[in-house]
Amino acid sequence: MAGPKTAKLSSPPTTTPPETSVAVSMLWESYMQQTPNRLKLIDAFLAFIVLSGVTQFVYCVLVTNFPFNAFLSGFGSSIGQFVLTASLRAQVNPQNRSEFKDVSPERAFADFALGSIVLHFFVFNFLG
Amino acid sequence: MRFLGSALVSFLVLAGKVLTKSSSGDSVLVLLDPSLSRANYSIFFGGLEQQGYDLTFRAPKHASPAIAEYGVPNYSHVILFTPDTKSYAPDVTPQSLVGLLSENTNLLIALSPRQTPLTSLATEFSLILPPPGTPLLSHHPKRPEPANVIPVSVSESPILTPDTNPVWFSGVPHALGNSPYLVPILRAPSESFAADSTDDSGSGTILSASDKGGEGFWAGSHIGLVTGFQTTKNSRAVFAGGVELFSDEYAKKALPSGQRSGNAQFARDVAAWVFQETLTLRIDRTEHHRVNETAAPEMYTINDQIVYTAYISAYDRKTSSWKPYSGITDMQLEFTMLDPHVRIALPPVSGEPGKYEVQFRAPDRHGVFKLVVGWRRKGYSFLHTTTTVPVVPLRHDQYPRFLSAAWPYYAGAISTSVGFFLFSALWLAGDVKGEKKNLKGVKSE
Amino acid sequence: MPTAYPLPKDLSPAIVTNTASLLRIIALGLISGAAIASRLFAVVNFESIIHEFDPWFNYRATRVLASKGFYEFWNWFDPTAWYPLGRVVGGTIYPGLMATSGVIYNLLHALHLPVDIRNICVLLAPGFSALTAWATYMFTKELKDESAGLLAAAFIGIVPGYISRSVAGSYDNEAIAIFLLMFTFFCWIKALKQGSAFFGTIAAVFYFYMVAAWGGYVFITNMIPLHALVLLLMGRFSSRLYVAYSTWYAIGTLASMQVPFVGFQPVRTSEHMAALGEHSSSMYQLIFIHLTLTGVFGLLQIVAFAQLVRSHVSSKQFQELLVSAVISAGVMGFFAIVALTYKGWIAPWTGRFYSLWDTGYAKKYIPIIASVSEHQPTAWPSFFMDLHFLIFLFPAGVVMCFRALRDEHVFVIIYAVMASYFAGVMVRLMLTLTPVVCVASAVAMSSLLDTYLDPKEPDTDEQKGRSALVGTTSASIGTSATAAPVAAPKKTKKTKEKEAPVAPGGVLGDLVSGVASSAAAAVQASETASTSKSTKGIFGLDTRFAVIMNTIGLLLFFVLHCTWVTSSAYSSPSVVLASTSPDGSQHIIDDFREAYYWLRQNTAEDAVVMSWWDYGYQIAGMADRPTLVDNNTWNNTHIATVGKAMSSPEEVAYPILRKHDVSYVLVIFGGLIGYSGDDLNKFLWMVRIAQGVWPDEIQEPNYFNKGEYRVDDRASPTMRESLMYKMSYYRFADLFGAQQPMDRVRGQQVPAKGPTLDYLGEHSVGFRCRGNVSNSSSADEAFTSENWIVRIYEVKKDDILGRDLKIANAFSEGKKRKRSKPVSRRKAIRGW
Repeated sequence: MAGPKTAKLSSPPTTTPPETSVAVSMLWESYMQQTPNRLKLIDAFLAFIVLSGVTQFVYCVLVTNFPFNAFLSGFGSSIGQFVLTASLRAQVNPQNRSEFKDVSPERAFADFALGSIVLHFFVFNFLG
Repeated sequence: MRFLGSALVSFLVLAGKVLTKSSSGDSVLVLLDPSLSRANYSIFFGGLEQQGYDLTFRAPKHASPAIAEYGVPNYSHVILFTPDTKSYAPDVTPQSLVGLLSENTNLLIALSPRQTPLTSLATEFSLILPPPGTPLLSHHPKRPEPANVIPVSVSESPILTPDTNPVWFSGVPHALGNSPYLVPILRAPSESFAADSTDDSGSGTILSASDKGGEGFWAGSHIGLVTGFQTTKNSRAVFAGGVELFSDEYAKKALPSGQRSGNAQFARDVAAWVFQETLTLRIDRTEHHRVNETAAPEMYTINDQIVYTAYISAYDRKTSSWKPYSGITDMQLEFTMLDPHVRIALPPVSGEPGKYEVQFRAPDRHGVFKLVVGWRRKGYSFLHTTTTVPVVPLRHDQYPRFLSAAWPYYAGAISTSVGFFLFSALWLAGDVKGEKKNLKGVKSE
Repeated sequence: MPTAYPLPKDLSPAIVTNTASLLRIIALGLISGAAIASRLFAVVNFESIIHEFDPWFNYRATRVLASKGFYEFWNWFDPTAWYPLGRVVGGTIYPGLMATSGVIYNLLHALHLPVDIRNICVLLAPGFSALTAWATYMFTKELKDESAGLLAAAFIGIVPGYISRSVAGSYDNEAIAIFLLMFTFFCWIKALKQGSAFFGTIAAVFYFYMVAAWGGYVFITNMIPLHALVLLLMGRFSSRLYVAYSTWYAIGTLASMQVPFVGFQPVRTSEHMAALGEHSSSMYQLIFIHLTLTGVFGLLQIVAFAQLVRSHVSSKQFQELLVSAVISAGVMGFFAIVALTYKGWIAPWTGRFYSLWDTGYAKKYIPIIASVSEHQPTAWPSFFMDLHFLIFLFPAGVVMCFRALRDEHVFVIIYAVMASYFAGVMVRLMLTLTPVVCVASAVAMSSLLDTYLDPKEPDTDEQKGRSALVGTTSASIGTSATAAPVAAPKKTKKTKEKEAPVAPGGVLGDLVSGVASSAAAAVQASETASTSKSTKGIFGLDTRFAVIMNTIGLLLFFVLHCTWVTSSAYSSPSVVLASTSPDGSQHIIDDFREAYYWLRQNTAEDAVVMSWWDYGYQIAGMADRPTLVDNNTWNNTHIATVGKAMSSPEEVAYPILRKHDVSYVLVIFGGLIGYSGDDLNKFLWMVRIAQGVWPDEIQEPNYFNKGEYRVDDRASPTMRESLMYKMSYYRFADLFGAQQPMDRVRGQQVPAKGPTLDYLGEHSVGFRCRGNVSNSSSADEAFTSENWIVRIYEVKKDDILGRDLKIANAFSEGKKRKRSKPVSRRKAIRGW
């Protein structure tokens, strides 16, 4: 289900209808200016995962979905890692400070690491 | 077990320089009607004794010696030469005789045109007897003997010695029911019929019967005179239409053609069959295993190649021992779960006597299967064996893993993991930098 | 500030906090003790034995697991079940329960405590009930405060609705599943509240455990997305929700696919249905489509992204972006769904989709599912029986949730609505309703106690001015949840004294101490909450006293009721029955085990036993013999085959029995002592199930006489000829001598001349010389237990002469046969 969505995430900077191009460029500028570097690091990682996920999805649709469990675990690892990283981004984002009173950025990273490790454990268990 | 035991017995007896021929024991009880003279059957009985059988004679009304005690038969074979006896000692009833068969005791029974308890017994064996007092008559060939003493030519049968001379017969015929266990040994001549008198006055009955399409009419070559019956437990019974067939008188009587009658030979052959001397087969053991293995596994996996082996012996009366037997060519093996999933020929292995082997692939279906060999041929012992083996699906680690088609997924999963570690490293490095900036970091995590 | 009763002045806040937490720990410990103790009635009254039907299979599987290890268990193919089909056990069960026992077993053995695996299995459910109480405490604490948590824990600890499935010996999936359910929900609430990926991960891990343990995991699978969806629709999207849900979903879904039985289902079928797995499969039908799960996930991603974009651009531009994005996403999504459905990868609109809401569907079309008593709709009295006064407090608790209405309260409300609906549909789903009833009731009762134990009296008129600040003082649910541990300044000595002596008093003491400590907590809570003055409140001690006494009385009756129900209704192992004689002494009826052990000791090891499927697991477990069908109903045809054999005349049934290599047939007959759960009372289900497969041969109306189900003289001929009828009443009349035999279950007089059996019974053709005549006419049943509950018949072998067994029997009974004539072989020329 994240397929269409991830595609959308990467689409605004490249393929844009003319009437919204202004908005997009503004979005881009605003993003470049306002986002802290650490968040940019996260976003870079997110972009990489999206790329990987999309590749796998395309391969699945175009070539083969066999073995299905391998696809699920590969694709699932992309999705899982993506949402975990996105969660981390939300938690460390200074703008969201008020929402996450109980979660300090350090705690957020520890949570993220734990979640990722559990995720990768299941992924590799399911892969073969 | 019984076979083994008797084989052992016969071996011991052999060691005692006495010939014993039966595969199932040598004790014989003869119920002889007092009206029959034992001397008149000396050829038959003498021949048996000569072979090594231990004959015990008893009148049908005497209670001792008992046929069976405490549910265990005392004799391996029982001969009932009591064609006209109406009342027996209490231990001889149709029910008890069937019971004897289920305990693997063989029966040789002589009938007569009179209605006796044995008549109703014959019914249970799917033999259909004519009404009382209707012996078999035949006016051909022309001969000095009365019409009810008939020379019958012997047809080909695995039971009988080939080229046995025709035998004299006198007694009652029977039609054969549809039991598959009947083994016809001697058929009536085609021109013979059952009628209630010995002269030609019966011809009217014949005509009226043939008008009705032959219904209720005991005539022609499809009715039997001597018929064997093999039970599912491989015990044997023979019903002979007349006891004179076994007598010295008929054995010595010359045929109309002047030849010697075949009665003596015929009687010996019939006794040999019913006492399980001839045409006696058994499955010694069966084996099954995977190809290239030797031991039988606890369970097979679907699509395994299975090798099934059966070892079959036949009883050899000459040496009184079981010998490997490769003479069966039409045996089949079934791999059955509710219905046969595999049905395949089980041929003898050339060069290895008694060994039958086949290799086949287990079906792609799991369940509890049975390896069934069932071989039933008229006259021969029935061979039947079942072995139950479970066929299980592949174990979870027997499926192929790490297929080449899936490498993008593997790459994806691994790259994500690697990415995660790189990212974590970068993040932590960034954290250290940030720490320096913010004076005192929070290293509690 | 006026108070209703004096409060001690000289207590430091620290002492109060410490005392309160100590009391809480003691209370929780006692609640656990009570929860375990009240489940031991079964062991005390009977013995340490596995109960009922399914637990016997679980027990057997656990023994395999304990003796052969996990990998062998995973690959276990059981050739004795579903003979001759066999059962791939490893791939068709939820291994969580067995794995749990196996781990405990190995752990104890590693500690050199050689405990029998049976005792672990018997005592697993009580042990986990203590954990359930704790999980419920944690869950309710998130909802309101510790006092409500303790009440909820006490309720769930002894409420019959949960005890019914977790007494000692009831070794079934539900035993551990309710704990997992509550703990997963707790983690979810916690994750949602904090926005913590950590709790999301924990929730996912426990969700995985739940998936491995019980088919009811779909309840979680549908509850959590539904909650998220409702929050989204309420406009309550937050990054916390995003974090919690995404983490749970991403890890949980992947994890749930690790369970072999569940496999790819989470992504393949939108309904998330395990076709004909455990017979709890019907439960899946009733619960939501799985589509919500993935749909909500996708939706969350989109909303989160939109939020992100929104934070960077102005609202007008955002709208432009939104419109174009929504349109393109809609088009893409539509094509994606069409393509996937076309390729058959997801199957959202199967026939069962419509049956989800039509609860009568299963009954109408799937007699196997309908025949299970657990699947019947719940009778109204059983709500009271299982929940007692909680059922009345439950709506009040839900209303309280509406008043606070934070995210977690929305969850409880959804849970309450869904669970109520499903509990009304099916008896066994009462189990999922019970926790939420306990939680909601605890919230309600705790609010009541808070109000009436609050020592403050309302302000008089002159102080009224400042009171507008605080809205809903009386309940004070909202604020107290987070504020509870904050120090309360004072505490009455009186309250403390009241708590101290009652605390260690067993079941009763637990509850009271729960109440007491909740009262203490309430004191703290209300005091901290209303440092400012309030207008509403209670004046004087008398009102308080009346209400509190009433409440305590209610709780007392609840405890009495729970104890009574547990000991009398829910503690019977149903393998062993008990009857009470007129003088009050108990008489144990042990027919089942008697018969199973007879089978075990007197029959060949590979002798196949045919019985109705209810007894399959027990035969496998206690008699260790292959069975044709058992309680795992995955093959309709095979069960229908047994139904057909049971409802057909002997000569029709015999080939079926022979084909399946059946050696013994086992029937349950209660007509002698009045055991109503016997096979004749289930007989119509056998007929119905058989009719479903062979409508031409078996017709239900044939078994009725003018619409009446009779077993007496007026029984229909089909009924009297059926194997089941014959086996049940075979030689039954002999017991009564000259009297008219009487079936005590159906209250009908059965014919004095009983049925005869030709194809079953003692092997009668054998040679017998006991008397002078071979007396084989009596075709006895192979075995009949003491009270005739279990009757076992042997299937005769083929006649050695190849005759039909009916004829063979007539012969051995000495009956004359009609003379037959030779078959004409010349029929063709008859006209000549």
